[in-house]
Amino acid sequence: MTIRMAGSDIIELEGSCSLEDAEVLFQHLLEHEAAVVDWRRCKEAHTAVIQVLLASKRPLHGPPAGAFLEKYIEAALGGGHN
Amino acid sequence: MNEFIEQFLLEARELIAQGTGDLLVLERSADDQSKIDSVFRAFHTLKGAAGIVEFEPMARALHAAESVLSDFRTSDELISPAIIDQCLSCLDQVTRWLDVMQATGEAPADAGPAADAIVQSFALPKGPAPNSDAALPAGDWLAELRGRRPDAWSEAQTALRYVPDADAFFKGEDPLARVEKLPDLTGVELAMREPLQAFGAINPFTCSIEITALSGADTETIKQMLSDLGNGVEVIAIDSPRRSNSASELSALARSILDAQVLLLRESEEAGLAGRIMAAGRVSMNVLRRTGLFAAASAVETALGGVLASQADAIIGIIEDALLEEPSQLSPAQAQAEQARLPLAIAARVLRVDTARIDELVNLTGELTVVKNALGHLAALAQGGLDQDAITAGLRQRHAQLDRLVGEVQRAVLRIRVLPMRQTFERFPRLVREIAAGVGKPVTFDIEGDETEADKAIVESLFEPLLHVLRNAVDHGIENPQRRAASGKPPAGAIVLRASRHLDTVIVEVADDGAGVDTARVREVAATRAIRPPEALATMGDGEIIDLIFAPGFSTATQVTGLSGRGVGMDAVRNSVERLGGRVAIESRPGQGTTIRLTLPFTVMMTRVMTIEAAGQVFGLPLDMVVETAIIPRDQIVPIGRATAFAWRDKTVPLVHLAETLGLAGEKDQSRAARVVITSFQGQFGALEVDRLGERMDVMLKPMDGLLGRLTGVSGTTLLGDGRVLIVLDVQELFS
Repeated sequence: MTIRMAGSDIIELEGSCSLEDAEVLFQHLLEHEAAVVDWRRCKEAHTAVIQVLLASKRPLHGPPAGAFLEKYIEAALGGGHN
Repeated sequence: MNEFIEQFLLEARELIAQGTGDLLVLERSADDQSKIDSVFRAFHTLKGAAGIVEFEPMARALHAAESVLSDFRTSDELISPAIIDQCLSCLDQVTRWLDVMQATGEAPADAGPAADAIVQSFALPKGPAPNSDAALPAGDWLAELRGRRPDAWSEAQTALRYVPDADAFFKGEDPLARVEKLPDLTGVELAMREPLQAFGAINPFTCSIEITALSGADTETIKQMLSDLGNGVEVIAIDSPRRSNSASELSALARSILDAQVLLLRESEEAGLAGRIMAAGRVSMNVLRRTGLFAAASAVETALGGVLASQADAIIGIIEDALLEEPSQLSPAQAQAEQARLPLAIAARVLRVDTARIDELVNLTGELTVVKNALGHLAALAQGGLDQDAITAGLRQRHAQLDRLVGEVQRAVLRIRVLPMRQTFERFPRLVREIAAGVGKPVTFDIEGDETEADKAIVESLFEPLLHVLRNAVDHGIENPQRRAASGKPPAGAIVLRASRHLDTVIVEVADDGAGVDTARVREVAATRAIRPPEALATMGDGEIIDLIFAPGFSTATQVTGLSGRGVGMDAVRNSVERLGGRVAIESRPGQGTTIRLTLPFTVMMTRVMTIEAAGQVFGLPLDMVVETAIIPRDQIVPIGRATAFAWRDKTVPLVHLAETLGLAGEKDQSRAARVVITSFQGQFGALEVDRLGERMDVMLKPMDGLLGRLTGVSGTTLLGDGRVLIVLDVQELFS
């Protein structure tokens, strides 16, 4: 799975996250209101996934593995490295 | 610019004027069904025109307004002031877009967000607008992008904004993947289109994201790569001076010119304030336009239409922001109190002409050809030995015909340049409304005779002086509501702008039903400010005193309202009008009102002059400055100091010897009585002694330009029939 709960407070993104993963991510975020998102092993993400992240305003634990995500999207989502 | 676009601009502006007029009537009478229909048609036609020139954002914005107006057509509900304001703002924005098109020949590429804002404003139920800093404002996305990513911006050549369709995901698209493929990205920003929506309510499979990005690649490449996205994406070139928001695009020259305007505006000296503001405003607008800062230029223009007191500050603010590196304040937000939009004073290069007038010219050229042939024939006969008398007779006859025909051609051509006053007058209702709102006085404004015609140059040049006069009428002519109530006048002040034509002159009047001019106060101020010496003031009647309002440096502001009193700008008004060959006068009825009357020539080109001879040379005097000619016996001319004068109709009139004043040699023949021309200008009289009085004639006056234009005492030249040059004198300069 590319989206997975690690413990109850961390949602991990790994590898290539597709359109369908957006729904999974969305559900996890709804069910775990305090969870942060760890996308350090995320190489690619469909726009729908990024959209969910953007709308959720959750803290992101990066930097993401993918070059495009790291150079442009992380900043756009309001993150530096934390 | 191609003719198609020119035609579009012409028609669009007319439709805007039509719509504005209708909206203003609806403001007073919301139940006027004919106006609802008419304004709906105006918006509808404008929308159609925008579609034809493929200016989609404009069509979209107008469609939103049109839909709302359509509802009012069919329902019983009365149109509300809020909707009227929204429609007026929509027309303002369309006007700004048209101005950009006029300047660049193309529809502005960044019109999308502003169109979105308009659509949004009509779609909102009357609730507070959502605001959040997560969403890009529908306004200036470029400014926002630049503000957030200044480093990326400075390395970029192209900015883009991509708003995918809501069903983009269903169609199998991955918008960010498209952006990823763009070459040379320097920055990306993301925002939700509906930021306040609760997280739980979103649909992850609906695309609701806005992507803006910056790239170092050139705009054409980016456009091509995204061309299949059509209207979903906007691509703007950053580097080109035409579209750049970057203040660093301003050349050193532009900067120093703008700095100079700020200095000028900071001068707090009241005298000439209005003139300085206008001048600085114009220069700044031109510089800002030339350097591509259209938003700032528009903002300056809007500020000029507002209340005098805040104009200088508003314009200074706009210029300083334009000079800063941060563009996000570069917006019409400066003019938020000033809603009056001064339509761009573009002297139209295109004229609507009645085809009948063109036909007239065509006929005349036909008749001229006939006379030309006849002359040719006469020449042949003369060569063949026709006798002197017959030649003379033939020439006289043909000359008479030509005389008549040339006169007709002149008149016909001048008639083509003639425009109705409406062209200028239609800009005023909106402005008067804003000025009145600015000083908190209810005012009704009526226009009469706007179909009156005058030369294009006159109609166009009247805008500024009339604006001054109207502003004064609202500021100072009309009393505040309490005073009006105390005098039993209706609460709203009445201002009427009327135009009429009498033979060769056009009369334009601004009449108010206010308190009239306070002559005692004017006398006081004139004495305090030494406008005239006390002895002169003592002998002046009320009429002459009131005329002092036109003197430079005059002001009777009794309150520090920040608004300069009547007087500032009135000298400028007189100057402008006299430059057009006209006159301006004030008539005041104490307690009842004031009327400012402008008398202008129907055309600027023909001047009636009276010829006179001095020192063997012939000169012309503009006939409308001549009051009388007289022959004065020598013993009635008395010396006063180093000058001379004589008594005429209970006045003392200074007398000047024309040849001497012009520095021409010649003897002063003291033996016979003086031939004198009594002239009048600005309420003062002066007489010129000449050798001989001549005839009257109509001449096409050519103003002197270039070096000769600086000659004092001369206003223009024309050619006489015998080939001599007739110099027409500027009487005012002769006496000063």
